[in-house]
Amino acid sequence: MRPPRVLIAILGFDGHETGALAAASILRNSGMEVIYLGRFASPETIAASARDESADVVGVSCHSWEYRYSVDELLRRLVEGGARIPLVLGGSILTRSDEELLLGKGVAAVFGAGASSREIVETVRRLAAEHRESAAAAAS
Amino acid sequence: MSVDPMRSQNSAKQFYSPADLSEVDYASDLGDPGSYPFTRGRRASLDRGRGWILRELSGEGPPARSNAQFRRLIDIGASGLDVIGDAPTFACFDPDHPMAHNGVGTQGVSLCRRQDFLELYDGIPIDRVTLSHSVQGWFGVAAVYLVARARGVAPEVLRGSVLQMPLYGEDYSYAVHMPVELRLRLALDSIEFCTREMPRFHSFLEDTYFVSDGGPDAVEEMTLGFVEIRKVVRGLLARGLDIDRFAPRIAILVNCRMNFFEEVAKIRATRRLFARMMREEFGAKDPRSWSVNITAHTAGSALTAQQPINNVVRGTSQALALAMAGVQAMEISTFDEAYRPPSHEAHVVALRTQQIIGLETGVTGVVDPLGGSYYVERLTNEMEGKIREAVGRIEAMGDPADLAARGFFRSLLERAMVERAREVEDGTVPRVGVNVFSMPEEEDRLLREVAETKVEPCWDHVERIREFKRSRDMGRLGGALRALLEAGKNREQSLMPAIIAAFEAEATLGEVAGMLRLAYGAAYDPFGAMTPPLDGGSLDARASA
Repeated sequence: MRPPRVLIAILGFDGHETGALAAASILRNSGMEVIYLGRFASPETIAASARDESADVVGVSCHSWEYRYSVDELLRRLVEGGARIPLVLGGSILTRSDEELLLGKGVAAVFGAGASSREIVETVRRLAAEHRESAAAAAS
Repeated sequence: MSVDPMRSQNSAKQFYSPADLSEVDYASDLGDPGSYPFTRGRRASLDRGRGWILRELSGEGPPARSNAQFRRLIDIGASGLDVIGDAPTFACFDPDHPMAHNGVGTQGVSLCRRQDFLELYDGIPIDRVTLSHSVQGWFGVAAVYLVARARGVAPEVLRGSVLQMPLYGEDYSYAVHMPVELRLRLALDSIEFCTREMPRFHSFLEDTYFVSDGGPDAVEEMTLGFVEIRKVVRGLLARGLDIDRFAPRIAILVNCRMNFFEEVAKIRATRRLFARMMREEFGAKDPRSWSVNITAHTAGSALTAQQPINNVVRGTSQALALAMAGVQAMEISTFDEAYRPPSHEAHVVALRTQQIIGLETGVTGVVDPLGGSYYVERLTNEMEGKIREAVGRIEAMGDPADLAARGFFRSLLERAMVERAREVEDGTVPRVGVNVFSMPEEEDRLLREVAETKVEPCWDHVERIREFKRSRDMGRLGGALRALLEAGKNREQSLMPAIIAAFEAEATLGEVAGMLRLAYGAAYDPFGAMTPPLDGGSLDARASA
């Protein structure tokens, strides 16, 4: 079976990239395929790339609060035309209360400052497998 | 890159001895503070407690809110200001750009027009307070020049600085979607403009902080800094400028990480390298050209989201290193750094830290208190040697502008960022509260409330800008923007007069940057959302030079 495919992006004009690059590196080193969309992404470009690239999981790195205003649109766009591609958010600015709010909206996982590589890898791997199952079920 | 041309290893010994000083000649390698090669400091004396300019990075919301922030900072003892633009401002897009919308005023202040700067500096004594600008250099120069003229202050008395980052900005944090040729031209044009119009202003602040925070180590940081300084200096010399016209106004904004002595040695080595380079290589005659002005920010990347109070201790240790190394100005990255731009509470703590070090510890009573230490002198020599060697290796690879265009620096920065993150993750680098001595989250509550308070985007300011754009004299604006396009296409003339004229005609940052991109064959708006505000949109958005 081909490895999980994860798309990584940063919203808006925020230029802070260390977290996104580090996450991409962690996932790649664990054997996953990473599509690095990087900076200057919008909900529209993220969703379009995720579909074009057949991403199993979408990861958005947050150093600014763009996600607070874009996450609803992003979740909506990721569900268009089939099963929703799971969305995970990561970044030190994400607090416990942000996490509760985001999970309530339908975000699949939130990685704050304390998240370990192992936690990130295991969660993303599980979400990718679940997505493939539900996508296959939807197609049959 | 498979080969890393800059990676260095520290040869740490258990202790150092007179043998480590055997290669140091006091007169030629150190000299008294204030004399060549300035290893020990730029000046022979420090006014106690006022040895450096006390600043804290600030900027939030619309310009008026930042103005209030400035006043509070001055009230609590700041002797200089450093304004940071928000992410759209750094990227040269207006607040009404759809990509900007949710980031307006959240990570800095929103600035896109002359009026914004007038509001930003309203009531601030700009002829007495130094004005540092963490925005694109050419934009800061044009804006502060226009503010001075509007306020009846002679631009030649202005003090302060703007960042110049022509080689690396595109790769890390501060991308403007312009080709390197244009970025270099804007840097040279704005620096040259200031030699005539704003001679006391540091129009060339080499920012090694932004490029190194979270990535490159101390040697790599200064290597990148010197590569960029040398590229810009050669560009100015090629224009026929005398080195002593501009070299005294070069400053370096360095990072200060947690490794105390390494950072002290780095700053001392930087002063010596700069002095020798200016005198021996570029032939500068004025001693002011030899002694570089050094300003510093303590490393934001050293700060943690966990146990934010620990960051106060980190800032104190870093600031102490800077005080002992001797710097002209400093800013402490605040305890809430991992979450947000500095809160007022965090500003107060950071300024008080600087004040306590300056007034209570006694470390500022003597210049270069670590001079002569076996260890520090040995480390200073090693840092100087490694930086010089690495600069040579990179320059041997080709023109740094070509290296930038080919993505060489980008790959180097990417690798360094990933490596630093891995070191914390795997515990190679201890980080208290993160990979050692961590604390259950429910117990980690101190200062959390301040740190986790969010700043809302200022959408009412977006609306103001939209209204402003509709209210302008479009004929005058169009004329100024077309003149800017022509100036851009003519590679021989300075861009500054046309940029200043455009802002006077009420152009915005996004429009000016867009016309400059057009002049270099790039898209007016790389995201395809905006078009030039010209009658009938007569310019094709991809019109080339």
